[in-house]
Amino acid sequence: MNNNWMKRQRLLGYVFIGPSMLGVLLFFLIPAAYSFYLMFTNYKFMNPTVRFVGFDNITRLLHDPMFYLSLRKTMLFLMAVPVSIAFGFVTAVILNQRLYLKKLLRGLYFMPYITSGVAVAFVWMLMFQPRQGPINGLLRSIGIDNPPGWLSTTTTSMYAIDIIWVWFLLGYNMIIYLAALQEVSTELLEAAKIDGAKRGQVLRKIIWPLVSPTTFLLLITGLIMTIKSFGIIQAMTQGGPGNSTTILSLYVYQNAFRYYEMGYASTISWALFLIILVITVLQWIGQKKWVHY
Amino acid sequence: MEMKRRLSTDVPMRLVGTIVMLALAIVMIMPFLWMISTSLKTPAEVFQYPIKWFPSNPTWEHHIKVWSGSKSFGTYYLNSLKISIIGMLGATFLSAFAAYGFARIEFKGRGALFMVYLSMMMIPPQVLFVPKFIMFEWAGIYNTHLALILPGLFTIFGVFMLRQFFMTIPNEISESAFIDGAGHFRIFFRLILPLAKPALATLAIIDFSWQWNDYENALVFLIDESLYTVPLGLQNFILENMIDYNGMMAAASAGILPMIVVFVLGQRFIIQGLTNSAVKG
Repeated sequence: MNNNWMKRQRLLGYVFIGPSMLGVLLFFLIPAAYSFYLMFTNYKFMNPTVRFVGFDNITRLLHDPMFYLSLRKTMLFLMAVPVSIAFGFVTAVILNQRLYLKKLLRGLYFMPYITSGVAVAFVWMLMFQPRQGPINGLLRSIGIDNPPGWLSTTTTSMYAIDIIWVWFLLGYNMIIYLAALQEVSTELLEAAKIDGAKRGQVLRKIIWPLVSPTTFLLLITGLIMTIKSFGIIQAMTQGGPGNSTTILSLYVYQNAFRYYEMGYASTISWALFLIILVITVLQWIGQKKWVHY
Repeated sequence: MEMKRRLSTDVPMRLVGTIVMLALAIVMIMPFLWMISTSLKTPAEVFQYPIKWFPSNPTWEHHIKVWSGSKSFGTYYLNSLKISIIGMLGATFLSAFAAYGFARIEFKGRGALFMVYLSMMMIPPQVLFVPKFIMFEWAGIYNTHLALILPGLFTIFGVFMLRQFFMTIPNEISESAFIDGAGHFRIFFRLILPLAKPALATLAIIDFSWQWNDYENALVFLIDESLYTVPLGLQNFILENMIDYNGMMAAASAGILPMIVVFVLGQRFIIQGLTNSAVKG
């Protein structure tokens, strides 16, 4: 009797995870399987004849110059992640000192990460306005006569987006570092001080190695999150000027919902998945190594 | 002697550090300040340099424009609130439910199922857009709010985060309840949920901000203007008022303001939630 009850209680596990599993099935697993199937078809929106085309889409992808361009643009976009991590680290180290108004400062640095969606992209778009915008106004006033065209020229547009992305991620990196810095033992730092270590040495030789697992984690999660994001780019430039801001995730969206090439779009999206898979595998390998500093 | 040295070197250092960091913090929030200031200016003042932070004749007309007429932000607000609130409540509850199962009941296949669950985090939304579009159209929920609400009820991050939290609650608490004859349902509702209130609040706030800011799904799954959420409405406003910079910034303020309120009220929870799931994850 009691045993039976225990058994029934254990079976309740399936009841508890059931609804969520149903959601995963409906909105993740089945669509993912469907997308995998679409990769081998010529599926187009409003096109009644869906044919199985084998590896045609994959061959097409490998010969598509736009695919390689979008990969390069994606790499340029991802550069923002390590830069933002560096800024986040420096900010966290300084905020971890004895300062006034610490809570307020932390909040101000963190604000862009929470509040920013597309709305803020439009604000940046105006601030980057090349002829009259406040950013170039500032640059001219300090003697730069030919400030960059930011979002309006093909050579600078990706860097302008990187600036926004560094700004956006900085606060997140900072609060995670702040938490990691709390764990660095004060005894160790005191000991280093007594041994006559300089501030820079303590930072480089003690603090930086100790927070390296955090750095690694921020790098991995930052890369994965960034590679999936195309919202602000779609909102500001739609991939332009030219194709200068068409990153891979945006290229998927364009193929699917601008050209309605849904079979091909699925193929590109799996290339994106492969990149995420590689980063995740690196994380598994890295985690084992980085846990012991 | 020691005291004196401390005071003389410490206080100035602290002050200088604080001032430098405050100056940089103001640079960080400059876009927000510029947005608000521009939304209150006249068109002629928008691009004046040096920047006029305080317009000489602050005007509310741009804000009024955004909130009135047939394309008032009121509609977008109601749509966004509806989607975000239902999504937030549903996702928080369902995540807690699943997290309890994964964290505190030992059933067959638990580990494997959790791995399947987590592996879904690797699938980028771009893989899912096309099949979801086809499936939603087939099911008749494409171009309805359900296309955003239903998937919004499930968050893998939420299950992961709450599972971490539930695992930190000592086992003795549920064991003694078990001996008293309470089943998992009663333990979940009466014991665990009340204990998890801060974690639930954290997830709810983070989830709300995600749903409110969600532009990409709305872009893919909604076409009727009357269904637009705030990010889409904002984009629409900007496309139609390309040269009205003051109006654009008034519209942007409308989009960001609720997030600033959520941020100011919920900052503590958000920081705690993100740090816990990152550091212990």
